[in-house]
Amino acid sequence: MGGARSGLVAWCFLAPALVLLVLFAFWPVLWGGYLAFTEYKIITPPTWVGLRNFEDLLDDPVFFISLRNSLVYLLIVPAIQLAALALAVLVNNRLPGIRLFRAVFYMPVVTSVSVVGIMWGWMYSDQGLINAVLQWMRLIDEPIGWLSDDRIALFALMFVTFWRGLGWYMVMYLAALQAIPGEIEEAARLDGAGAWRRFWKITMPMILPTVLLCSVLSTLGAVKVLEEVLIMTKGGPISSTYTGLYYAYDQGIRAFHFPRALAASLVVSAICVLIAVLNFRLLRPRQP
Amino acid sequence: MRGCHALFAGALALLLAAAATASEPVHIEFWTMSLKPKFTQYFEALVQRYQAQTPGVELEWVDVPWDVLQTKLTAAIAGGSAPALAQMNVPWAYDYARDGAIRPVDELIGAARSAYTEGALQDVTFLGHVYGFPHYNSVNVLTYNRALFAQAGIDHAPATFLEQLAIAKRIKQRTGQAGFSPALGKIAGVFLEEGLPLIEGGRAVFNSPRHVAFLSELADAYKAGGLLKDKLFSEDNFPASIDAYKAGRLAMMVAPPAALLRVRDDAPDVYAVSDVAPAPVGAAGVVAGGWLFHFAMPRGIQGRQAQEAARFALYLTNAENQLAFSRLAGTFPTAKAAIEDPYFQNMRAGTDVFSKAVATGASRMASVRTLYVAGIPGFEQLNKRLQDAVEGAVIGRRDTQEALDAAAAYWNRRLGAP
Repeated sequence: MGGARSGLVAWCFLAPALVLLVLFAFWPVLWGGYLAFTEYKIITPPTWVGLRNFEDLLDDPVFFISLRNSLVYLLIVPAIQLAALALAVLVNNRLPGIRLFRAVFYMPVVTSVSVVGIMWGWMYSDQGLINAVLQWMRLIDEPIGWLSDDRIALFALMFVTFWRGLGWYMVMYLAALQAIPGEIEEAARLDGAGAWRRFWKITMPMILPTVLLCSVLSTLGAVKVLEEVLIMTKGGPISSTYTGLYYAYDQGIRAFHFPRALAASLVVSAICVLIAVLNFRLLRPRQP
Repeated sequence: MRGCHALFAGALALLLAAAATASEPVHIEFWTMSLKPKFTQYFEALVQRYQAQTPGVELEWVDVPWDVLQTKLTAAIAGGSAPALAQMNVPWAYDYARDGAIRPVDELIGAARSAYTEGALQDVTFLGHVYGFPHYNSVNVLTYNRALFAQAGIDHAPATFLEQLAIAKRIKQRTGQAGFSPALGKIAGVFLEEGLPLIEGGRAVFNSPRHVAFLSELADAYKAGGLLKDKLFSEDNFPASIDAYKAGRLAMMVAPPAALLRVRDDAPDVYAVSDVAPAPVGAAGVVAGGWLFHFAMPRGIQGRQAQEAARFALYLTNAENQLAFSRLAGTFPTAKAAIEDPYFQNMRAGTDVFSKAVATGASRMASVRTLYVAGIPGFEQLNKRLQDAVEGAVIGRRDTQEALDAAAAYWNRRLGAP
């Protein structure tokens, strides 16, 4: 009886948040999922068209380019995780000015993405800082079209994502590192374990849950990348920087094909779920 | 007798109710597109004047940023809370008219239609009906850097697009600077200006030898460095163009006269060596840069509200108000009497470059039209394919004929062409 009563109380406490969640998360997802199978122009009621929007996606080469680019974007996941972990290990030391160093690396995280996009747009432009420095060093004769050459534009965007995300993951790893009890490290040191061995046998196993979390977050972030594309290239040149989510945005907000945008979003969501499951399977800490 | 009394009382109640409704102020909400804060004073004064002279009408001005206007308006129409008037461009209005989201205004505009230029009225006529009250328009002029022209040994402005390409190559060769930045992000419009059709008889025809030859000229100019590469294929390459022009890195800029005000304010040294000429005209004979803004009336606006909204729209777009707006904004009016005003006519004798640009633009208002592609189902997706093909061909990544053939095949398959 007491259990039932406390269960009711718990539901009462949960209710406000659940109502909001249902209204603003679950209902839009379900309604959006339904609209992906309809013809809908907002000003007219939706009509059921089955899989036609998905067939349209399959007939659009830009959609495949978008998915391919989203997968290529995953290349930054190991890079950003390794760099963030290395950085966290470095800033975990008690050195003079280390707080400033941490703050500097965290700065891009708190900078507005619009500012970041505009700043890197200038840096990458023909007259920008990067080309100017390379020309001054006589490494290149003509400016490199960082964002206008279809062969390198995607990688230029990936670098911006890397730069933006590094500080965030560094802080997460730093928190995990600082949560490791000092006595364990101390005991290992007394037993004669070297720095390398301590890292692999003590540090890594203890921060593995954080590695899993960061990997899942950065993988999903890479698949869902949108802002950099929107601000810096708008999918160009020659559709070379379209990503899955930007394709959905472009179809919905610019071309006003909401059902096709929702169909593309469903595909991207399915990929995200698949990748998250894979991540959990591969990186889940094993029970001894 | 009692029945008569009841009937009389009922009729009286109805009359009183009708009188009360008639005396209630009519609320007219009108939306403009990205005109705050520069034109706040203009619109507030206009609203005050109109309300003072039209008792019983309550105006509410809402300015909406251009990039969210379409989304907000669509949602408002769907939700039954649309404004009585909404400012928009022609392609949006065409889509709304096709979907029945805005209503025809033929009867509401009535005899006042003769006050507007024929081109403006044609721009807002879809499916045989007038769908808006024309407001302001734009027209491009060619602004060029005399110093770069002199350095390249060129003594005249180009009259055609192909001549402009030739001059651009020469400027790059002689001065090291780019010639100009055509609007290649809107290639369908460029083709139309050049009289190169996209579709004939339900089939895509943009892979014809004429199209290929035209693109080959563009590719040649690109390779020679005659075209500004920054944002060349962006949907809006104007910001990059004007920045390059102000920095002296671009010899020619095809833009509305108002662009010269920015050059004058930000780069007086470049302004001092600038001159203007009519923008090159393509084979279609249409002057580039026409982009009409007008006030459309969403569906559901009926009865007295529609009548009052139309009266206000006619006031808002009359010659006097259009002239005042154009003087402030550097745009062109669509009311005939405003174009005939000495403000536009007397400037022809002016020596200032901006004045010359305004006069040059005004002299060509008759042949200005808003060019856009209409009536092609799924155009956005088709256009993307064409855009990519053109970009690949111009930067030399793909063979021009092959790229256009592939895009045309895609169009024909999607269109179910015969």
